[in-house]
Amino acid sequence: MPRVVKKFDSRMIEPWAFVAPALIIVLIFYFLPMILTIYTSFTPLRNWNISRYAHQIVGWRNYQRLLHAILNDPSVRAVFLTTFVFVSVTLTVNVLGGLLLALLNFFLGKKSSSLINTIWLLPRMAPIAVYALVWYYFFHGSKMGTLNSLLLKIGVISQPISFGQEFLPLGPWSVIVFVNGLVGVSFGLIVLSSAINSIPSEYLIAARVDGATDWQICRRVLIPQIKWHLMYVTTWQLLSLLTSYAHTYLLVSWKLVNKTYASPWALYVYDLAFTGVFDQGLAAAAGTVLVIVGGFLGWFTLKILGFDKLMGQPRGDL
Amino acid sequence: MLRVLVLLALLMSVVILAATLQDGIISVGQTLARNGVTEVRYSVWASGDPNSVIRVQGIVEAARRINKIWAEKGVNLKITVRETRYELDFTQMYQEFLSKQPLGTAGDFLVNSYVYIASLAEEGYLLDVSKYVAKYKEFTEDFYSSMLNAAKYKKGIYGLPQDTEARPLFIRKDIAKKIGFDLTDLDKKVAQGVFTWQDVYNWSKESVSKGASEWGLIHRRGSAHPDLMQFILAFSGTLYDPVDDKLVLNKEAVLKWLNIEWTFAREKLLPSDIMAWDWAKQVHPAIVSGKTLFDIGGTWYWTEWQTKSYYTDPKTGQARGLTPEEVEQWFYYTLFPAGEPGRSPVTLSQPFMWMINSKAGSQNPKYSVLKETYDELAFLIAAKACDPDINAIHSIISAHLPVGKSPAALLADKKWLDDLYEMKIDLDESVKKVLTDIVKATVHPINAKFLTDVAYMLEYTNFPPMHPMYPKLAAIFAEVVDYVLRGQMAPDKALDYIISKINADLDLKESVKIVEKALPSSSCPAL
Amino acid sequence: MALKDVEVKKKMNQFLYTVVLLAFSLPIITGFSLLILSSFSNEMVTNFDFLKTFLTLQNWKLLFQGRIALTGGLRENILLYAFNTLIVALGVAVLTTFVGTISGYAISRMNFKGRKILLIMMLLLHALPGSVLIVGVYFLYRVSMPTNYQFIRYFSFFYVIIARAALEVPFSVWLMKGFFDMLPWEVEWSAIVDGASRWKVWYRIMLPLIKPGVVAVLIFGFLAGWQDIIYVRTFLIDKTLATFIESNLETEVAYMPLLAAAATFYLLPTVLFYVFSQQLLFKVYAGGIRR
Repeated sequence: MPRVVKKFDSRMIEPWAFVAPALIIVLIFYFLPMILTIYTSFTPLRNWNISRYAHQIVGWRNYQRLLHAILNDPSVRAVFLTTFVFVSVTLTVNVLGGLLLALLNFFLGKKSSSLINTIWLLPRMAPIAVYALVWYYFFHGSKMGTLNSLLLKIGVISQPISFGQEFLPLGPWSVIVFVNGLVGVSFGLIVLSSAINSIPSEYLIAARVDGATDWQICRRVLIPQIKWHLMYVTTWQLLSLLTSYAHTYLLVSWKLVNKTYASPWALYVYDLAFTGVFDQGLAAAAGTVLVIVGGFLGWFTLKILGFDKLMGQPRGDL
Repeated sequence: MLRVLVLLALLMSVVILAATLQDGIISVGQTLARNGVTEVRYSVWASGDPNSVIRVQGIVEAARRINKIWAEKGVNLKITVRETRYELDFTQMYQEFLSKQPLGTAGDFLVNSYVYIASLAEEGYLLDVSKYVAKYKEFTEDFYSSMLNAAKYKKGIYGLPQDTEARPLFIRKDIAKKIGFDLTDLDKKVAQGVFTWQDVYNWSKESVSKGASEWGLIHRRGSAHPDLMQFILAFSGTLYDPVDDKLVLNKEAVLKWLNIEWTFAREKLLPSDIMAWDWAKQVHPAIVSGKTLFDIGGTWYWTEWQTKSYYTDPKTGQARGLTPEEVEQWFYYTLFPAGEPGRSPVTLSQPFMWMINSKAGSQNPKYSVLKETYDELAFLIAAKACDPDINAIHSIISAHLPVGKSPAALLADKKWLDDLYEMKIDLDESVKKVLTDIVKATVHPINAKFLTDVAYMLEYTNFPPMHPMYPKLAAIFAEVVDYVLRGQMAPDKALDYIISKINADLDLKESVKIVEKALPSSSCPAL
Repeated sequence: MALKDVEVKKKMNQFLYTVVLLAFSLPIITGFSLLILSSFSNEMVTNFDFLKTFLTLQNWKLLFQGRIALTGGLRENILLYAFNTLIVALGVAVLTTFVGTISGYAISRMNFKGRKILLIMMLLLHALPGSVLIVGVYFLYRVSMPTNYQFIRYFSFFYVIIARAALEVPFSVWLMKGFFDMLPWEVEWSAIVDGASRWKVWYRIMLPLIKPGVVAVLIFGFLAGWQDIIYVRTFLIDKTLATFIESNLETEVAYMPLLAAAATFYLLPTVLFYVFSQQLLFKVYAGGIRR
């Protein structure tokens, strides 16, 4: 392609002019806060009293306290376990659930898929306060709870069960996986559904002509064709789950679920900063640790997936 | 330097000259007016149950009364309440105040539980009003002495008493009758330490086994603090030692408390899942429908049962509130009994305080120059909100206890009560508008009599510790009592768990001392 | 394309799939329906116990009168809170879309040093937890606050909108890039050869071509702003529907059906928006990750 030498300078700057707003926003509201958070982890900041504590440096004390808690406090150790279980199980639920729904979408046709999408997008789109309220009543540990009253009515149980507070740790784990899973499934549903829809029809016609059953179509045609999309969904959801706490924190503060076993690391950080003794210094330390782990995991996953495949070259240039 | 000396001399003279509120209001008004200020604006943040709106309206009314005084004395100044905020969740409001105060966007007045004074004062978020309390001695003398003590932290005073309550043990008279439980003079027997938790246990068993009630005991849900801390106190335990400013874990008292929870739950006298019960759908309906003989409650339940529809009328099948007559007919109340013979009965109060933001009034003109004056004005507004009639109105409509002798006297005054019911009291029109429906629902001689009769409990009252680390300890108790009730942890294991959790948190470890036996007497102040 | 384009479906399978689907969808349908129903009842009906309940509009009447309970409480201005929520939502929507569209265009169309790093960064930023960031964002808020009291209220809106939109930027950049990737090069090429600047090309030619994508990102941004609670609670001086609900959800003294009505009212725009824009949402999510 011919090069227009005249606009050389502006062409070098031009892309940066376009991405500048995004860069500035990301710089100010991601990088800067990250640095400030790391800085805070070396101060005794509490009760949001920046003017008093922000310039006091206490060295590694917050990290020492964190380590001490990890080694001695059974509920902090439980947070690690909860994070691991929560992320891995919810991830599986999200990906498999999304896949299942996408496949069902495919086999059921347009009218049903419309309805499916409406229902399954609701958890993601509903305001967090409203969404939490729905499950507060659903899992309430008395006969007032929806699930309890249902099970009581059909006679499966004779006493109401406090799902979030009994059968530790499975009870609270199940509740938070369920609540967050429903939100995450919609992501997989949408991405994989569209991916399936863009598979060229020739493959499907050929498979049907060969007399393949629905299951065989799934295994031989659909799933292999959307492999890349499955990887994308898995990566994105993995990172999302590591950092999610919003849908759980209300359930913990309303005491629906046992705090110890419903707190993944991200929620533990929030809890330290916003409740109890409002220890922002310790929260910053715990948060920094989380970021390091999350960053590593993200990088690792990208390496495995082969990031270049995700990117592709720009569409057109002079 | 000279200016500083002059200022100091002025300050000292101001302090020495003890004054009445009226004088102070006029003097402050004149100072501001002289400096060209014509309007001062303040904001109020308050929280609590829906009927406690006086926590906001008290300031509005105080402002009106001060404006009236200024108008009469020709002071060209007025107070405007620019923002009022009332929410049900007072813990949330504390969290908001905490994060917004450093930004300067929090309310100028905060009305919340005294328990938060420790942290707020520690960070310098509240105004220390001790010099004004000293200056306006006459005004503060009307308060019950323990009330003002609850606002003290280290060497300052950080609030004025707004209200208080007590936590009686409620007993169903009708159920008691069925099992031959004679309630005559029971309150005196409890006060003398003759009737203890042993007896509560025995009568609970009697009632449940005879089928007179479904449960023997109901208590609060969600957390152990504050109601259940009374158990520790009832076994002569304590939660705080003011001598070395440390929280106390009294092993003997805590173990005995957990044993009671365990025993009652195992013998089905107390629901094992009560920590997860819902207040509106389960706790209150159970008490109101006579499903339990005993209930560890609060003085505000008396009116709550009248204003909320917890009761299903057996004749009509409709949900409704109780009438004052029904409450009086069905409920007997005593102090929280002694844990065992040889101990003393207790009750627990968590006063609410009028607190002043250390940045109060900072949005007003010439704030940096006139800060002292603005501070004093803020104090005077809060002081005026403590006017006896305002406090008495609050008491009766929200079923809290009065904080001083004058408001208590008004509650016993039938004519004043009648005037209040007819809204003939001198109040700001907007305040009247807000109060009318609550007044109609709650003002009743039976209710007023209850408040007067129950006030004796304040002589036995205790305050939960105002220590910055106390919330952490309370959280551990909350966790543990649930495990014990559900049978997931036996009391001795639970005690070990508590200790291990305290030791696992470095801050808590430093702030808590663990004591084996109960101390001979409770170390918390009483009337 | 769907299978039905190819041949006749097996009725038995169809039935089975529908049943399975319904079973999985039941919790969501039940949960939300009961909450909405409770807002029209005299007590919470979450346990299917309809004996003592009756339908009433009282909760909604109370809500719009600004009550927080049956008696007492101050009068709140619920419509004002809805309006505040709207401002935040619109602000986030517009900002996210604008930033995403211009960045997405550049990354899709132009080859420049750092393009790859930029995209990786956008992906990894997704891994930064909001709870960690917020301490830093608060710090920044404190430091940048204006001293003039008149402006603080506007500043708080301004700050919340930008800070919240920032959280959506990585996602919206990726999405818009994907949309731009779908467009053919020819139209653009001819415009540039004719001497038009990139900005003109972006504005006059590209944007109209991806209108559905733009609308979709607007909707996502709007919903993100509408539902936010953490940032709004920490930084905004005024109240939104989210903070109103959370600060009055004190289970000891709250009249829950009233809060159910507030929650349903809060839920309304969400439902309206995506019921009407369903297909659009689908296209967007999928289009964003095409190579």
